[in-house]
Amino acid sequence: MSKLKGVIEIRNLSKSFVVDNDPLQILKNINVTFSSGEFVSIIGSSGCGKTTLLRIMLGLESDYEGEALLDGEPIVGPGLNRGIVFQDHRLLPWLTVTENIAFGLDKLDRKEKKHVVSEHIKLVGLNGFEHAYPSQLSGGMAQRVAIARALANRPEILLLDEPLGALDALTRIHMQKELERIWQLEKITMIMVTHDVDEAIYLSDKVVIMSSRPGVINKIIDIPFSRPRDRASSEFIHIKAQILKEFHLGTEYPFAYAI
Amino acid sequence: MFQSRGGKDKSMNISNQIKGWFASLTIPFVLLVLWQVIVSLGYVPAIILPSPEKVFSTFMTNITQNDLLRHVAASLERVILGFIIGALGGFSLGLLMGLSRTAEKIFGPTFHVIRQVPVIGWIPLIVMMFQIAEIPQIIVISLAAFFPMTLNTLAGVRNVRKEYLELAAVNGFKGLKLIRRVIVPAALPSIVTGTTLSLGMSWAVMMAAEFFIDTSYGIGTRIQAGRSSFNMALVLVGIFTVGLIGYGLTITIEALGRAVNNGRDVHKEI
Repeated sequence: MSKLKGVIEIRNLSKSFVVDNDPLQILKNINVTFSSGEFVSIIGSSGCGKTTLLRIMLGLESDYEGEALLDGEPIVGPGLNRGIVFQDHRLLPWLTVTENIAFGLDKLDRKEKKHVVSEHIKLVGLNGFEHAYPSQLSGGMAQRVAIARALANRPEILLLDEPLGALDALTRIHMQKELERIWQLEKITMIMVTHDVDEAIYLSDKVVIMSSRPGVINKIIDIPFSRPRDRASSEFIHIKAQILKEFHLGTEYPFAYAI
Repeated sequence: MFQSRGGKDKSMNISNQIKGWFASLTIPFVLLVLWQVIVSLGYVPAIILPSPEKVFSTFMTNITQNDLLRHVAASLERVILGFIIGALGGFSLGLLMGLSRTAEKIFGPTFHVIRQVPVIGWIPLIVMMFQIAEIPQIIVISLAAFFPMTLNTLAGVRNVRKEYLELAAVNGFKGLKLIRRVIVPAALPSIVTGTTLSLGMSWAVMMAAEFFIDTSYGIGTRIQAGRSSFNMALVLVGIFTVGLIGYGLTITIEALGRAVNNGRDVHKEI
């Protein structure tokens, strides 16, 4: 029986850190399932534990109560079946674009490696920059390389930790479209942490809303609209208002776009 | 498509370079004139400060008749050998202490106590232990190279961004692969600084070693010979030679360092 791949189940998960000898609860009783091929965003104010939750799924955080399962198996440490794009592109400055993308591809032989790298350079639209160093790239380009690097291992799940947070508004909108295109091509589960409500609605099948101290899930909202989505459509604006209400922010606030 | 690193207009570069040379030659020229003036006006007796002309002619006769090049070669050989031994040792210890807190606890205190002693302070002891002139020379020089290399490698390894280590962990990098592909390349700028300092220290300490340890060949030995025969022109020839060759070594190693740091040859195996 082939099971669907790229399913993460979080069950009754709680996590505390010790700060100044006092335990500080970061996540409390989290229950959520990320289904195969879904695009899910996690939004919430700073300190709600969304990045910690992502790091648990990545396998960088252990020592929690409850369960985190990947395709039915408990998550133990990082693995190549989960790719990650960090907010800082985290490209290695001493490697070229090609070498950065090939960073985790040691299992492949030379020819396969070359093929996979050029395929992914094409996927993220960076043809012509194969031999550039990270310092020569703009923020958006660097983040594309980071996405290509994360996808090159063919993960079942791509985790994105505020991947577009460091980009300017226009590049950001453009990169959201790119992410959608890549997600549709790759057909894998993508889980993205973001501060940006518009971005979450534009990209996601499902938005998980968290609040802080301790981090709990307030609500999970399905976004059933067809794609590509129109940010100016009434259904878009309606659901945005609904999400903002969760944060006790009316749409009249000018900073409602970025919580 | 993208600008190559530091890619400026070539002709601009050349004219800037010429300007740079003129700028860097100003001070030596002024000093030379001043020197000539002092000597011509007889402020200092010629036996203490010989004229530039006398120093130059001494330089020429030393090259043609007194094996100056052989003395230089002997010193260079010592320095390079001592530098390689000391720098490799320093790199290894720095890497070890940088990677493991336990190793730092074991070696750290002893290392920091020993490095407080100026390298030339070890000379009497080392000479007593190793009678043959060449061996104590090389040991002293390698000690001089060892300390800056250890310290800078240690600092470089300790300061590798934890984000890079996380990235390596996500990609399943461990052990030697982690060290070779992430830690050492990330620490490379600091390691290059250590290498440059090490070579500088080796060259400087070579002079001291040759003063204190008798050898037949060596540029320091030559200065010593000038001093004992009260030949200040020969002393100055030695000083200029040491200065110029030291400078040559520095710019060579710095150019090498820049080439490595530029990120190209660090990691070719992909």
